[in-house]
Amino acid sequence: MVKMIATRLVLLVSLLLAVSMITFGSMNLLGDPLFNILGPAVDDPRSADKVAQARADFNLDKNLPHRYGLWLGDVLQGDFGNSYANGVSVNSIVGEKLPRSLLLAGMALVMAVVIAIPMGVFAAARANKAFDKATTFVTFGFVALPNFALGVILYYLFAVRWQIFPLKYIEDEGLFMKLKSMFLPALTLALPIAAVYQRLLRTDLITTLQEDFILMARSKGVSRRKVLFGHALRPSMFSFITVFGLNAGALIGGALVVETIFNIPGAGREIVESIIRDDFPVVLALVLIITGGFVLLNLLVDVLYTVLDPRVRA
Amino acid sequence: MSELAVEANPVSVGTNATPVLEVKDYKVGFKTERGLARAVDGVNFTLGTGKTLGIVGESGSGKSVLNRSIMGLVVSSRQIEEGSVKFHGQEIVGTNRQPYWGKKMSMIFQDPMTSLNPVMKIGKQIGEPLRMHLGMDKKQAAERATELLTQVGIPEPGRRLKQYPHELSGGMRQRVMIAIALSGEPDFLVADEPTTALDVTVQKYILDLLRKLQVERNMAMTLITHDLGVARGRTDELLVMYGGRSLEQAPTETLFNNMRHPYTEALLESIPTLDHAKHTRLNPIPGSPPDIVNPPKGCRFAPRCKYAQPECVTDDPPSVVDGDHAYACFFPVGTEANQLALEKNIAAGETAVGLPVTKNGQVF
Repeated sequence: MVKMIATRLVLLVSLLLAVSMITFGSMNLLGDPLFNILGPAVDDPRSADKVAQARADFNLDKNLPHRYGLWLGDVLQGDFGNSYANGVSVNSIVGEKLPRSLLLAGMALVMAVVIAIPMGVFAAARANKAFDKATTFVTFGFVALPNFALGVILYYLFAVRWQIFPLKYIEDEGLFMKLKSMFLPALTLALPIAAVYQRLLRTDLITTLQEDFILMARSKGVSRRKVLFGHALRPSMFSFITVFGLNAGALIGGALVVETIFNIPGAGREIVESIIRDDFPVVLALVLIITGGFVLLNLLVDVLYTVLDPRVRA
Repeated sequence: MSELAVEANPVSVGTNATPVLEVKDYKVGFKTERGLARAVDGVNFTLGTGKTLGIVGESGSGKSVLNRSIMGLVVSSRQIEEGSVKFHGQEIVGTNRQPYWGKKMSMIFQDPMTSLNPVMKIGKQIGEPLRMHLGMDKKQAAERATELLTQVGIPEPGRRLKQYPHELSGGMRQRVMIAIALSGEPDFLVADEPTTALDVTVQKYILDLLRKLQVERNMAMTLITHDLGVARGRTDELLVMYGGRSLEQAPTETLFNNMRHPYTEALLESIPTLDHAKHTRLNPIPGSPPDIVNPPKGCRFAPRCKYAQPECVTDDPPSVVDGDHAYACFFPVGTEANQLALEKNIAAGETAVGLPVTKNGQVF
């Protein structure tokens, strides 16, 4: 297992290098960075000094591999450079926006799991009965409903109409307020994910419940609840945690639609805005963080497999 | 034993006042799209403390359904139960039997490879009933589990407790299963083909171990098997099941020495034994078990029986009680009528249902 983790970490480093090269190269094919730094002044002969200055500051006078090398050297020292748009350091932009997206993703995933596990177990325990059929109907609804529609409905009902939750994201009135104002956006993300998890768990559990060892556990006198949660749940979690890893990875980069609807200045919005204004350093930093997080989370899932099932422990 | 009791229960094992299990005209059906499948169709037996009843039959004869239904382990809204099963004198048909599981009734399953939880340590699987039923704490349960593993002949029991089922061989796993089944100290144990999935070399060991533990603990047991040889010497009484019915029931030795039903005879003839001369042909039973949704009108075995006569096809033979021996056949093996029936079929070249019979009285 230690060997597996080590191999995967080496792989992660090479993957990050490849991703950064591709992103760095492709971003430089788009647009002129000088225009983004200086605006229309680029074409004005009177600001030739400024242009030369900017060229030197941002290393734009060097060729592409050279620039990549300089950038990589800075990154290895923990410095992602400065934004082309406003000269602010990328580290501070990421440091400000990413935690919001991580909080959103974390809350959404916790909610999804907390909703999905009991719903999946109860639906499987009474497969094809009323509760199961009702949840099937509802979950398909959540999967089919687009995020923006669900977000708008929740926002209208719980924030505008009944005013249970604040209208916007509030960061500076304490932790409780922060969590409370993040509740609706997280729920918007969580419901469709929970629906998928519930389907996966239900199906796998129904299969597990047919196993001989479940009948054996019942014949020992283990209570129904303990059979479900103690014996059947664990061996039924594999598809669920696989998808969990993928979801979690995808959410690290923020959720553009939800961040936009609920007006949360997070990483999702930042990355889209940076791409639009050709702000290479910001895009590069976020892409690398998302890639790293995605790989690390899926490594965690692989480790979880071995915790769940002793048979795959090597 | 009063004569009345003998009449009501032609076959009774044990002499205790209240038997562990008293099964009367027990029926189990399953509603299917084609109609009611009569998996168990009127079975009677009595099982006393410390006795073993062997239940023998082909696949699909209803032996597993009979035992699982008695334990109340079948979960299906399509299942229908009728008749009477008394456990320690108490009627249990139609009641929830979960309170008995593990501590009063227990079961050993056929396939040790799939019947243990693959993601739970052996120690926890044995400890579960101990903590639930005997109120032990974690430490006591571990100590008791070690003792149990020693009793079933597992070396290094302390180390085994921390292992997972996949780290053990099939024979070891079946021993673990026995340990689990016995951990709650049940009065009644169902052993459902406990050695079918095992290597022949460990079969005898497991069967003898079961018999030994059963005698030591004075448990009542049903041993389900399709192998009459397994039942011999390890059971007190035998019940031969076919198509959900009991065709013959008797104390084990009586049944082997004086078998009456052609099906029992056919079962025994289809198994190779060491006494057979070299190159002796086995006599497999032709055909397959009856359709339990639409059983044949007469005797259920008639379509496969070399003695079958016209009345076997039209009339259902009632159970004949001869002391402690019961059988349902118009032409019981070992009687003159049986001999005449066979001669008649040989002469005709076929039975009443048209099954070809050879000159030396064999059917293929």
